[in-house]
Amino acid sequence: MNAVKNRKVLVVEDSRLIHKMYEVMLRPTTLVSAYDGRDGLDKLSQSPDVDLIILDINMPKMTGLEFLAQVKSTPALAQIPVIIVSTEGKEEDVARGLQNGAAAYLRKPFQREDLLKLVNRLESKQPAA
Amino acid sequence: MSDGSNMTDPILPADVPADEGALAQGGRDAMATLQRAQQLVRDAQAAIEEASRVVGLGNGAGPSDGVEARLVAAENERAELTGRLADVEHQVGRLMTLYVATYQLHATLDPVEVQTTIAEIALNLIGAEQFVLLLIDDEDQSYEIRLRQGEPTTPWAQAERYAGGDFLVDAALADGGLRFGPTAQSSALAVVPLRVQDVTVGALVIFKLLAHKPAFVKEDHDLLDLLGAHAASAVFASRVYSKTARKLRTLESLIRLVNKG
Repeated sequence: MNAVKNRKVLVVEDSRLIHKMYEVMLRPTTLVSAYDGRDGLDKLSQSPDVDLIILDINMPKMTGLEFLAQVKSTPALAQIPVIIVSTEGKEEDVARGLQNGAAAYLRKPFQREDLLKLVNRLESKQPAA
Repeated sequence: MSDGSNMTDPILPADVPADEGALAQGGRDAMATLQRAQQLVRDAQAAIEEASRVVGLGNGAGPSDGVEARLVAAENERAELTGRLADVEHQVGRLMTLYVATYQLHATLDPVEVQTTIAEIALNLIGAEQFVLLLIDDEDQSYEIRLRQGEPTTPWAQAERYAGGDFLVDAALADGGLRFGPTAQSSALAVVPLRVQDVTVGALVIFKLLAHKPAFVKEDHDLLDLLGAHAASAVFASRVYSKTARKLRTLESLIRLVNKG
């Protein structure tokens, strides 16, 4: 099972452990790392060519949902698919994330196969780079 | 299939140079090539028929039955391989999780960062919602509650130090064995003693899992085992390093003072 190849993924997540996890699980994908929502927006302005965003919800400075609202209200960024990966796993949390424009929602702790399935599914919906 | 006997002469383009000798030779060569190709096709066809007959005989049935049986066997093998591939993928994922947890625990010598990593493993990789981290105080050998996540309601978890009294925690701290609850005498779901060089330097006590995680799964046991050993050595190493660094700074200050005097 392959991860996205030759594509760029922005990871917005405050846990260094989970950043390392994505680095290992999504190899050889190019990852851009941000540690909160505000940092994520800065990284997006520097690298607007990302193909996918993996987003946590509970983060300092700017939460994942605030970040998501900013991305979806910016026409140049609104088409980038977003996967929310969070410990917030109640049905209403999932519904809120999807209503705010996320393409998929994955609860932590997650299995590598589930992450790759989602990433590959979203990759197949996009035109090749 | 045609045997080639009714093949017509080669058709040549109308604007070829009018060298009739060369044309005739080219046509003969082409015909010879075609005939060789046809012979190869006939040989291959004969080989396929012979192979089908042998397969049929080997299965004690007609040629068609034999091929069908082989197809079924191939399909079964494919299904088995698909299942094994899924298992291997799952194992790879598990090993990656264990690798990352170990890597991150030993990526720093800062005691606070080590504690943060333990908390991140408990929350993100195990799915613990409420837990506390007990660490031994080197001065009086009591256990301090160094980290509290998710507001556990157990009374002793509100204090600054663990004074004993929880059956599972006491047992785990005493013999260094992993314990699962809850029991009549303890509300803890799991107690993971952090043990290095036969000394229990602390324990991770989990009281509640995330709502979408109903119970521990098999993979969690590996992770809790790993946490017990690697978190302990990471805590131990970071404490030794921070003490040594503090002593070094003191000595350097002293040397500077002596040199000034």
